[in-house]
Amino acid sequence: MSARRVVALLRRLVQELHRDRRSMALLFLAPIVLTGLMAYVLRGQLVTPVSAVVVNQAGQPGAAIVGALEGAMRTDGGTVTEAPDRAAADAALRDGTASIAIVVPADFVARLATGNEPSLTVITPGLEPTADSQQVISLQRAIATAVTQALPAAGLHLPRLDAQTLYGTPDSDVVDHLAPVFLGFFAYFFVYILTGISFLRERVGGTLERLLATPVSRGEIVLGYSLGFGLFATIQVLVLLGWTLLDVRVPAIGPLAAFSVGLAVPVAGSAGLAFLVVMLLALGAVSLGILLSTFARTELQVVQFIPLVIVPQALLSGVLFPVSSMPDILQAIARVLPLTYATDGLRQVVIRGADLGYGPLQLDVLVLAAFVAVFAVLASATIRREVV
Amino acid sequence: MQTVAMGLVPAVQAIDLRKSFGELHAVDGVSFELAAGRIYGVLGPNGSGKTTLIRMLTGLGRPTAGEARVLGVQMPSRTNLARIGYMTQSDGIYPELTAAENARFFGAMYGIRDPDAAEAALAVVELSDRAGALASQLSGGLRRRLSLACALVHRPPVLFLDEPTVGVDPALRAQFWAYFHELARDGTTIVVSSHVMDEADRCDELLFMRAGRVIAQGSGGELRARAGTSDLEQAFLQFSAQGPAA
Ligand SMILES: Nc1ncnc2c1ncn2[C@@H]1O[C@H](COP(=O)(O)OP(=O)(O)OP(=O)(O)O)[C@@H](O)[C@H]1O
Ligand SMILES: [Mg+2]
Repeated sequence: MSARRVVALLRRLVQELHRDRRSMALLFLAPIVLTGLMAYVLRGQLVTPVSAVVVNQAGQPGAAIVGALEGAMRTDGGTVTEAPDRAAADAALRDGTASIAIVVPADFVARLATGNEPSLTVITPGLEPTADSQQVISLQRAIATAVTQALPAAGLHLPRLDAQTLYGTPDSDVVDHLAPVFLGFFAYFFVYILTGISFLRERVGGTLERLLATPVSRGEIVLGYSLGFGLFATIQVLVLLGWTLLDVRVPAIGPLAAFSVGLAVPVAGSAGLAFLVVMLLALGAVSLGILLSTFARTELQVVQFIPLVIVPQALLSGVLFPVSSMPDILQAIARVLPLTYATDGLRQVVIRGADLGYGPLQLDVLVLAAFVAVFAVLASATIRREVV
Repeated sequence: MQTVAMGLVPAVQAIDLRKSFGELHAVDGVSFELAAGRIYGVLGPNGSGKTTLIRMLTGLGRPTAGEARVLGVQMPSRTNLARIGYMTQSDGIYPELTAAENARFFGAMYGIRDPDAAEAALAVVELSDRAGALASQLSGGLRRRLSLACALVHRPPVLFLDEPTVGVDPALRAQFWAYFHELARDGTTIVVSSHVMDEADRCDELLFMRAGRVIAQGSGGELRARAGTSDLEQAFLQFSAQGPAA
């Protein structure tokens, strides 16, 4: 063990890192920026005011409760409308005029008065679990206020909320909601890494120089890369999609307990449409990888773009936190991120079961296609013959 | 092309070419006209601007001032690149592809349809028996040969070779030169950079470069006579001391 050699190694690392200003800056800046962003997203969550639609099946006594509920929600900035039946309430949820529906069952008031397990049915859209639960929490507060107001004696027996969702199956869990979105995110992420590093190698390995000494055009290079990595992306997306939807139950064999293979996520819409959305995203990632490799000199620097470019997208594009409850500035940023549209598109297809006739999904697909085109143009602009 | 062959238009032309990197003038006002079917040696020490000059001639480097023309066409010109072969100083081949795959790939980039072109190019550099080997597993000299094959695959009328013989063993080096002369006889214009003076006599004409300028141009014999020495190395030093060529 030679202290001199160890010190020489240490010094070399300091010298290298010292010259690589960007890695240095990243070491300190990235965690601050990322935690700052995360804090902003989490603390800035504006709970969208509840716009509830109420179906009162409990007649006159129920009306008193509904009246109190309306009062309580109005003070919280929410709105309440009434619907004659469950179908009308569902329709209001579907077209977005209501964010939550409440059904007051016929025996509700009687059960409430006697403390006999009163329960209300609460229906949320089920597209974004986080946004839904925020709505339910607001509603719970309003219900507590309303019940103690209308029936002061019943204060101790708060009603149970029987939560249902408009889309998805009643037993759909958090994986069912997150898996489709993560599918898009991972495809985006891995295709970006693959293309970025591969194109960087082309740049630093001297082959791009050589390539540009041939009559090949920039458009041909970008198209060739898009097709090549598009092929890998296709395979990857097919495998991922298959894994997400797969539900193979292996029965117990001897001492082995039964288990299942695959995530068994139910798809309300067409798997082909989900594939289209993810593929558009992945093609955008090919161009993004080429684009960002311009700003990197080493593979390390390509990886450095992950906390700078990829992680913020995961925070802002609705993968984890609903875009609708973010502060305005962040919502504006979210609206220019391709991942936002892919996330929404995947939710629309997988959970809502939307098809291409549905306006919001059309928008998602169009915007994603536009991103592919714009990124491809930007990427080919970075492939310059006369670099220096 | 026709006029080039008849010698009306120089095969390669530099008109007061300049390239600066900030304060550093890597190429500092270079003008010349190179005739078709001859081998030109660009000689100069490390950092004298050889690679920078060749990159501008191939249209890969943007001149700070001046003009580069190849076969009468101002560079950069994408279509003109089909008539130019460029062997870069670093190998610039794909390590994960085999020798044959590399040659075929560059052939395709140059728009070559002939399926035998790649094999022919490999044969020239005597790599046929290693055609199936991964480029990353070839020795340094063999990679140099492959790099040359990739520059020749489309049989271009103008070839720029940036230190093609570095790391190549003497026997093959002799063969390389014999082949270059064969190409030149068929009308190919070849610009070779080197800092090995003993290769200089294999060129038809020499351009001595120093600090971004051409300090002398002429055949080996002429330059020796002008410097009054039988040693090219000596001649170079003498021209260096005199400054830029008249
Ligand atoms: N991209 C660049 N940025 C800054 N300086 C550069 C760049 N490329 C070349 N130079 C400088 O320009 C000068 C000429 O370099 P060039 O590579 O043309 O020399 P060369 O004659 O090919 O040398 P060698 O025999 O070592 O290959 C050198 O001083 C080099 O440092
Ligand atoms: Mg050089």
